Amino acid sequence: MICYKCGCRLSEHDFCTGCGADVSLYKRIMFMSNRFYNDGLEKATVRDLSGAIVSLRQSLKLNKNHIDARNLLGLVYFEMGEVVSALGEWVISKNLRPQKNIADDYIDMIQTNQARLDTINQTIKKYNQALLYCYQDSQDLAVIQLKKVLSYNPKYVRAHQLLALLYIVAEEWEKANRELEKCSQIDANNTTTLRYMKEVEHMLMPEEAAKGASKKKAVRENVVRYQSGNETIIQPVNMKEPKGISTLLNLGLGVIIGVAIACFLILPGQIQNAKADINKELRAVSEQSDAKTATIDELEQKVQKLTDENAELTAELSSYQGTDGTLKATDGLMMAVDAYLKNPDDIEAIAAYLEALDEEEGAENEEGSQDKTEAFTALYDDFIGLIGERLVNHYYNTGYAAYRADDYETAIPNLARAYQYDHTNGDALYHLANSYRRNGDEDKAKELYAEVIDNFPDTEIANRSETYLAEINNAD
Amino acid sequence: MIDFEEELKKFHPSLEVEDAEEAIYNQDLTDMADILIKLTEKTKTEEE
Repeated sequence: MICYKCGCRLSEHDFCTGCGADVSLYKRIMFMSNRFYNDGLEKATVRDLSGAIVSLRQSLKLNKNHIDARNLLGLVYFEMGEVVSALGEWVISKNLRPQKNIADDYIDMIQTNQARLDTINQTIKKYNQALLYCYQDSQDLAVIQLKKVLSYNPKYVRAHQLLALLYIVAEEWEKANRELEKCSQIDANNTTTLRYMKEVEHMLMPEEAAKGASKKKAVRENVVRYQSGNETIIQPVNMKEPKGISTLLNLGLGVIIGVAIACFLILPGQIQNAKADINKELRAVSEQSDAKTATIDELEQKVQKLTDENAELTAELSSYQGTDGTLKATDGLMMAVDAYLKNPDDIEAIAAYLEALDEEEGAENEEGSQDKTEAFTALYDDFIGLIGERLVNHYYNTGYAAYRADDYETAIPNLARAYQYDHTNGDALYHLANSYRRNGDEDKAKELYAEVIDNFPDTEIANRSETYLAEINNAD
Repeated sequence: MIDFEEELKKFHPSLEVEDAEEAIYNQDLTDMADILIKLTEKTKTEEE
């Protein structure tokens, strides 16, 4: 603190040690100014901006040179949206103390940003226009303008208050309440705001009572407020800590809801994915199966074909092998030929081999075997052609001798072979027929007699055959 | 009950940026200390 007269620093005495001036009152004024400043600062801290303005202005009335109070007043004006008032205080502050003054920074913050300055100016113009609309009773236009103002400068308390007033006049209590709530958040103890809020709450109260607002009011009253450091704790009076059972119940409910969400939201998706995977695998397996089926069919056809070939070859082999597994037909002929080559005159041996060959052929024919080869047939024909005459003579002589000796069992096969190898030998056929007749086989005899008659007509044996045939028929 | 007209009277137009300069010049910055000094000087003059 300096002396107002000489500028000397004052001591604890009530007079200036430099010029001797009485400074007791002066000191008291300075102290009061400081006290108002402290009060303003405290109110600004708790957002009682209106109260802070009053205190700070009082401080400045006592001491215009209180730079801190003036800067703080500018800040409070700025926070309330009164930008020009704030600028004024900062400019004065800067003039009173040009050096080391934070007001410099505040002024630069606003003036250097031209766009911001234009916005501020537009905001103020629109607010004034809105006020004019209110005077002209064009409240709808005023509302529109004020909404624009607040979109540019949401902290403009007076604009909020004017808009709230217009809503109150229009009886839009909820909207008015919202605007006043915003005002309260900026400036907590503004008298105008509190007055309007009281009116709005009074009008809203009957509606809320119908909805059970009295309970709400009672609920509002049943709260405990206390400070915990810098925080304000608001707690219901009858709030109870949740007990174990209710906690468990809530936990169980939460688990059930979680399971339900999993079942109805998560699980179907997973099931769908699993089904898609399974279908994909199924398709792949089906394709493989189809390919393998096709391969199996092809192999089965091959097997069938090979089986048929095997059967054919086996049958062909069987025809060569006979019942005892040996190639008797070819062996028989070769043995007959071999016997002839060894001893061409040994007609009996040759005949024996040929008889065996005939027996085997007869058995094969009964079994339905395959046809002889061309080589076999050719050899057989050539061989018969070579020894046929002697063979016939052998069989005829043997057969006839047996016939004459009444040995029909021996005569019949020999005479049959004789005729077999020589179909021109009618005597062999005739005697064969007689042998059958004398042996009691009249049916065979008749057949042979008829053959004699047919093959050897107009011969003596044919005449005799007719006679014997007539005798047999008469006897039947 | 709030009277709209009465309340409206309490709302004044805001100063625009162009008007700020004039408003600052017109502001009376006399404080209590100035009054005290004047009183003291006046008293001293009267005594003399």
